[in-house]
Amino acid sequence: MIRGLEPFLKAVENPYKTVSEWKERTGKKVIGCYPMWLPKELVHAAGLLPVVVWRSDEPVTIGHAYVHTFNCGLTRSFVDDAVRGKLDFIDGFIIYRTCLQAQELPFILEQHVRPAYLEYLYLPAIFPGAATKDFLIEELERFKASLEEFTGKEITDGELRRSIELYNENRRMLRRFYEFRRKNLGVLRAREVMAVVWSSMLVPKEEHNTWLRELLLELEERQEELLKEPRVKGDLKVVLTGALCQTPQFEILDMIEDLGMVVVDDDLYVGSKYFANDVELDGNKRPLEALAEHYLKREPTCPTKGDWEMDWTDEIAGMVKRGGADGVISLLIKFCPPHLCYYPDIKRGLMEAGVPEVMIEVEHEIVSLEGVRTRLQSFAESLRRGA
Amino acid sequence: MKSGKKKPSGRAMGAAVAGVDIGSIFTKVVIIDAESYDIISFSIMRSGASHENASRSATKDALRAAGMSLEDLAYVVSTGYGRSRVPFADRQITEITCHARAAKFLFPDAHTIIDIGGQDSKVIRIDAAGRVTNFVMNDRCAAGTGRFLEVMAEALEVDLGKMTELSLRATKNIEVSSVCAVFAESEVISLIASGHEKADIAAAIFRAIARRITGMVGQLGVQERVVMTGGVAKNEGVVRALEERLNVKITVPEEPQIAGALGAALLAAESLK
Repeated sequence: MIRGLEPFLKAVENPYKTVSEWKERTGKKVIGCYPMWLPKELVHAAGLLPVVVWRSDEPVTIGHAYVHTFNCGLTRSFVDDAVRGKLDFIDGFIIYRTCLQAQELPFILEQHVRPAYLEYLYLPAIFPGAATKDFLIEELERFKASLEEFTGKEITDGELRRSIELYNENRRMLRRFYEFRRKNLGVLRAREVMAVVWSSMLVPKEEHNTWLRELLLELEERQEELLKEPRVKGDLKVVLTGALCQTPQFEILDMIEDLGMVVVDDDLYVGSKYFANDVELDGNKRPLEALAEHYLKREPTCPTKGDWEMDWTDEIAGMVKRGGADGVISLLIKFCPPHLCYYPDIKRGLMEAGVPEVMIEVEHEIVSLEGVRTRLQSFAESLRRGA
Repeated sequence: MKSGKKKPSGRAMGAAVAGVDIGSIFTKVVIIDAESYDIISFSIMRSGASHENASRSATKDALRAAGMSLEDLAYVVSTGYGRSRVPFADRQITEITCHARAAKFLFPDAHTIIDIGGQDSKVIRIDAAGRVTNFVMNDRCAAGTGRFLEVMAEALEVDLGKMTELSLRATKNIEVSSVCAVFAESEVISLIASGHEKADIAAAIFRAIARRITGMVGQLGVQERVVMTGGVAKNEGVVRALEERLNVKITVPEEPQIAGALGAALLAAESLK
């Protein structure tokens, strides 16, 4: 039992309750941000509560009157929640061109949900040259002015700097947490690791940082004792990849572990992609420029803001090597074009590198978990026979 | 129900082991000699609503045919859809690993295995050592599976076993376009309504299955020898349509339906060593 994990696990149990409760507690307005790379520091600096929107655990109903059934689980579930009024406690939404499906969302929200605040950002998908950065800074200036108009309050450079520092601190601690996981295999369950990262997208960073400090203290103090009794026992080590924009069902993570595979690392969005690097502030640079530079970084690789030069496969293969993993499990969100677009290259690249890989399609409405189990178990069996 | 006894070869008898394959429609049991790998007996019966009952009855049948009792089995491996529901199994292994094992055993030069069962279809690639290197499984949809064929045979009012014979009399090239079992049924009914010959429709159904499976094979690439296992392999019409579509010769074992159970039994024998 790791006590420090409790607040994180509780926070993700019911995200609707978690977010509306702290809205009540702080009296601040809540802004739902679409994953994955919105500069939430700006929203925070405006005195608002930015949260990353999530997928519900209910099947989509009337949402299908507004959005195609062949959209990904997140867009369908988010629209369903929004038009049913389940997200009425959220005061505004910020969407950007994550993918084609996300681009439809502002129109649906504007027509059928009418939130108090709605913004659509154009964060560039390709980075052809220096002009991209100028364009991005200009777009962020426009975004900043739009937030200021909504709150009636100016965002100073000092406030933005403080918000960035707070977010950086959160990223640093999450990285330390991941380092602990890598060095102490089996101590943390995959669902717990994901709950720690996911909750960072739901609760105020101030609070999350306090929880993280306590958790890290407990883990580092009890390291030896925890290592003696690992909670995940397995003879195989795997790296998880994919699951852009959303969390896969925790049952799938449990299943991976129950079949004897220990997760050594991941490049999931609700995982190491979320906190991979800091927004680099230095004395002279305007914090807005630092945010733009952070967005333009090509690492961690992401198919929604990439160029054809990027090599996602190398990144995954590197992770496999560092963690001494036996194989890779790709969690592919059904109907996710950005991931699907790169998947054949990843598969081929990993095969050429001699890294066994299996693709598990993650659906919003999982019809047959047994089918998922057969795929995962066959993969584990092939890894064992291949040794 | 079907059970049978194979003639044991002259080699010395070792311990008996069994593979129990609980599929979505049929349950198959194979008992082999753990030393010689000879098949001692096998049984096939409908899985029904209780996988546990099916596993017990089918095993009882196979044991009866072999003149043995459950205590005589040194090791039991369960596989298939209901593999976790076999109370007397020592170990459970997926049907992907089991079909690969059986195909390698029956045809040592096998590299691609197409297994079409009642509800699932799978394409498996194995390396020279028989290890599974890659596989794809159909989505939750029943298109191109045994259940699909059953529904189609019903719509055509022909015995499933006679569908191949019927399809050989096809004269016109018509299409069943749908990949969904439910919609394909309506398509077939509409073809009947517009006066098409049953033979032409039967041939079109086989081609529709072949198209579906070809898409899965395409994800892995074909490497010969291609072996087809699972109950649907008993249907020559499907095998021929697939051969034509893939432009490759397909080998079908004598009893393709029990391949999963045979693989499980072989893995049970290996577990003893």
